[in-house]
Amino acid sequence: MIADDRVTGATEEVLAAGVTLGMPRREAEALAPFATVMPRDVGEEIRRFEPVVAVVEDLVPRVEVVAPGLMFVPVAGAVRFYGGEEALAKRVDEVLQEHRPNRTGVPPPHRIGVSDGPFAARWAAATASAGEPLIVTDTFGFLSSLDLGTLRESMGGEEMIDTFRWLGILTLGDLAKLPRETLASRFGNPGLLAHRLASGEDRPVDPREIPPDLAVTMTFEDPLETLDAVAFAGRNLAERLLKRLRVVGVAPHTVTITADAAFGSERTRVWRSADPFTERALSDRVWWQLRAWVESGGVPGGITGLRIVPDDLSGEGRQLSLLTDESSMIEAERALARAQAMLGPDGVLQARAQGGRMPAERVAWSRWGEPDTPEDRDNDAPWPGATPAPAPALVPPRLDPIEVEWDGGMPTRVRLGSRWEPVLTWSGPWRLSGRWWAGERDADRYQIVTSVGAFLCVVTEGRAYLAAVYD
Amino acid sequence: MRIEAVTAADELGFPLGTRTVLGKVQDAATAPGQRSDRGLLDLQPGRITELVGVPGTGLTRLGLELLAPHSRTAPVVALDTRGWISPEAAWETGVIADRLVVVRCHDPVLWPKVTAALLEGVRAMYAEVPARIKDQDLRRLAALARARRVAVAMRSMGGGLPGGVAYLRLRAIGVTWEGADQGHGRLTRRRLVLEATGKGAAGVARRFEVEDEGSNAVRVVSDVVVDQTRRAVG
Repeated sequence: MIADDRVTGATEEVLAAGVTLGMPRREAEALAPFATVMPRDVGEEIRRFEPVVAVVEDLVPRVEVVAPGLMFVPVAGAVRFYGGEEALAKRVDEVLQEHRPNRTGVPPPHRIGVSDGPFAARWAAATASAGEPLIVTDTFGFLSSLDLGTLRESMGGEEMIDTFRWLGILTLGDLAKLPRETLASRFGNPGLLAHRLASGEDRPVDPREIPPDLAVTMTFEDPLETLDAVAFAGRNLAERLLKRLRVVGVAPHTVTITADAAFGSERTRVWRSADPFTERALSDRVWWQLRAWVESGGVPGGITGLRIVPDDLSGEGRQLSLLTDESSMIEAERALARAQAMLGPDGVLQARAQGGRMPAERVAWSRWGEPDTPEDRDNDAPWPGATPAPAPALVPPRLDPIEVEWDGGMPTRVRLGSRWEPVLTWSGPWRLSGRWWAGERDADRYQIVTSVGAFLCVVTEGRAYLAAVYD
Repeated sequence: MRIEAVTAADELGFPLGTRTVLGKVQDAATAPGQRSDRGLLDLQPGRITELVGVPGTGLTRLGLELLAPHSRTAPVVALDTRGWISPEAAWETGVIADRLVVVRCHDPVLWPKVTAALLEGVRAMYAEVPARIKDQDLRRLAALARARRVAVAMRSMGGGLPGGVAYLRLRAIGVTWEGADQGHGRLTRRRLVLEATGKGAAGVARRFEVEDEGSNAVRVVSDVVVDQTRRAVG
């Protein structure tokens, strides 16, 4: 699995060939030429991670999922029950060892770290060896030895980290020694947050009480069974929640998503984020989670009720970027979510370029707010015979029959509605060879210029079709 | 080879226009105090630019191109009433792919509501306006765009926008294609002659030519006519 041209996941065979996670795509392809490269599908990763979360959740309730492959487990109460952190970590390790999700019967590799706060615990887990949980007793000492790059995942701030390095600050310990006021005045809120994390003071959230009516609920008379219906409902609910929270002036860092199954059971999952959730980010999490439950059969009979409860509310808002108009982004997301609620999920779309010879083939559409659809055709491939630029601005969703009059193989008139328009000039034919083995037919393309504009026409088996308008 | 085309009746859902054969293109300097022709192709916050012309004249591509500068800072929207708008043309003209959202609204009853919802949040929008939208609704939307300072380009599929809605009206006078020649070559360059009227053109009807070679820069190549006699209203 590839994202941003780097490996994000691989099968055991590929890993055995020397490929590591985070490795550049080309390097990985060289090491494992037999591997099939696919774009990352976060929803699928969540679906596969879901059984692992469920196993841990059987031991400790209210597990917080951060991303596929990473979860935080609050241990304050559980250590008393299991007799200490070491015993708890060992127990979690055992149940994960016993978990056999894949056909090979090999448990998924896992690492466990225990420390004060999620940031230190995350890096304790990253530092730990497989099968040997790392329990940090001196959190500040542990953090001091970490490289400054560990901050990148939690708070971004690429430029700030580079500046620190340039100043000779290489570890979190070096950073924690600096005066906090100086960092705040030089770097603002990110500098303050970095110093807090480096000093072991995690989660700068506003511990205010959550009014109980901030949670949003949706019930369905007919259980939702299709992914489309579930995605749409989840997105609407996420939008309603954030709209309600905006009125109060807070944003959630944690949300609890609950789904009621038609056959009586209830599924609950907690998600958290370092930044307050935006419409887009929350919609994504809700969608991933619901998809995981629906596809894994976790909600038998369909979903009859959905509920999102906010938690860890932050009143400090979001740090705005200087390079992009972040506030405009947020407002636009709200507006698009409202439009989508009116038009349905297929009414608001985004697109990206993909390979193809015809204008309609060269655009891969996906619903706004949902992960990109997998690329059908490689955009980097040469595609000889592709329709050249300038690209037509209007492309009908399917080829529309059009009447063209020919004289010795040359187009002379085009029928547009009730009237015949003379052809002023044209270019073509350009042959388009279809995949005959898949039943596709060969076709000829013509660019036809008439008095009402220029068109791209396709002629196949003696019939002409309108493929695009150069508007 | 250069091909002269005329604007004419629309058979794809646009209104019947008048036939206007391209006249001879003349160069003329911008009059003192007037906005440059390039400036006429800048979508201004809180203003509506109306694009008038039949399909094939290149106004969809021009409308998408107007969104390009705005896409550098925030998402921009193309409101599509037929499901035909292709983002590839927008990308070619410099709109950032990740920032372009296409909203498809086929229902003229929903259209004013959806447009209002979008005007509440986006910074720039190209909108096709279906036929039979009430003038009252369009005036309300124009007021909303002014209040929210949204840069809007509108292209009516019906009889045009009512008076007072558009700040600037760009009408396609004619289009010339180059590159194709009786079967040889391919379409390479379009020259579009536009007439600008309205407050945005300082109340003076001005004609200029826009050249599009499929790159991410639409060039304004010349002022063709300065018509001081017609004062615009709106």
